[in-house]
Amino acid sequence: MFKFKSKLMIFIAIFAFSTSLFLLGCTSRPSEDELRQLNNLKAEVVSLEKQIADKEKEKANLEKEIAEKNAKLQRCQSDLEAVKKALGQ
Amino acid sequence: MKSKLLMILIVAILLVIDMPSVLAQEMTKDQWQQEMSQFTAKRNDLKAKLDKLNSGIKDLQSESTKLNGDFTACNDALLKILGITQAEYDAFMNELIGYESRVNELMRLSDEELLKYRDEILNMSGRVNEMTKHRMALISRINDRLKKLQDNIASLMKTLDKSKTYTVGTWAKDRDCLWNIAKKKDIYNNAWLWPKIWQGNRDKIKNPDLIKPKWVLKIPAGTELTKEEKSAANSYYKKKAAPPAAPGE
Repeated sequence: MFKFKSKLMIFIAIFAFSTSLFLLGCTSRPSEDELRQLNNLKAEVVSLEKQIADKEKEKANLEKEIAEKNAKLQRCQSDLEAVKKALGQ
Repeated sequence: MKSKLLMILIVAILLVIDMPSVLAQEMTKDQWQQEMSQFTAKRNDLKAKLDKLNSGIKDLQSESTKLNGDFTACNDALLKILGITQAEYDAFMNELIGYESRVNELMRLSDEELLKYRDEILNMSGRVNEMTKHRMALISRINDRLKKLQDNIASLMKTLDKSKTYTVGTWAKDRDCLWNIAKKKDIYNNAWLWPKIWQGNRDKIKNPDLIKPKWVLKIPAGTELTKEEKSAANSYYKKKAAPPAAPGE
């Protein structure tokens, strides 16, 4: 009885190992080069996202600067008009 | 023997149980392909977005340069029409800003503290009045600021007027009359400003030749005589010069 039990155990163990090996061995996997390619692509995406964030900040600053310059120019033009009017020109 | 077998069994069971997670950590070719396509598309989108941003920034930079040129041209025209240099413009603006900030400081002082700055306020008032006659005041924006400054200075002077008083002494001891009071160094140091004291104390002084000891007189700010003060003084002088009325008249 004991012998039968131990044989069964060995059989189960061998079955489990072979199943694992089968499952691992039969699936198609990407090569090292392919994995590197994917990692490079991901790094490129991260770098592009950072560049875009920086550029968006630069654009916002420029827009603010332009709005200020526009206001300054309008003020100057209205001053000029007022002075011309006051001097009757 | 029995325990060895048991161990093998446990290891095998664990391997089987752990298999899905081992498989999940390692990427399959299909998953790799999927991620490659997904990240390639994302990279292309981002590149397009970056190109668009770069071109937008370039446009904004040229707009900014153009605005610089337009402003310089406008400013030059303004200075030319005003007949002043940039340095004079800057000096005027700095002076104006300086007075605005000083007046704001003075306005926060208590009435008592303000008295110490009487001369400074008077000088400032005179200078701001001169500034309103400058060509720069033709610029309505600057004119508005000057007017506001004048109003604030006037309000400071009003506070000074309310604050400064003089208690009349006796003629015998102090020789106090409006003329002599106005002549005092710590009052106006100018006897001709006596009508200011008269007009500032109309509630007490009915006849400027008659003031009484112990009266507490308000001393208005010692600027030039106002139109009303001048006219009051002229009518007083005329009355003095006129011959006394005949009895029965």
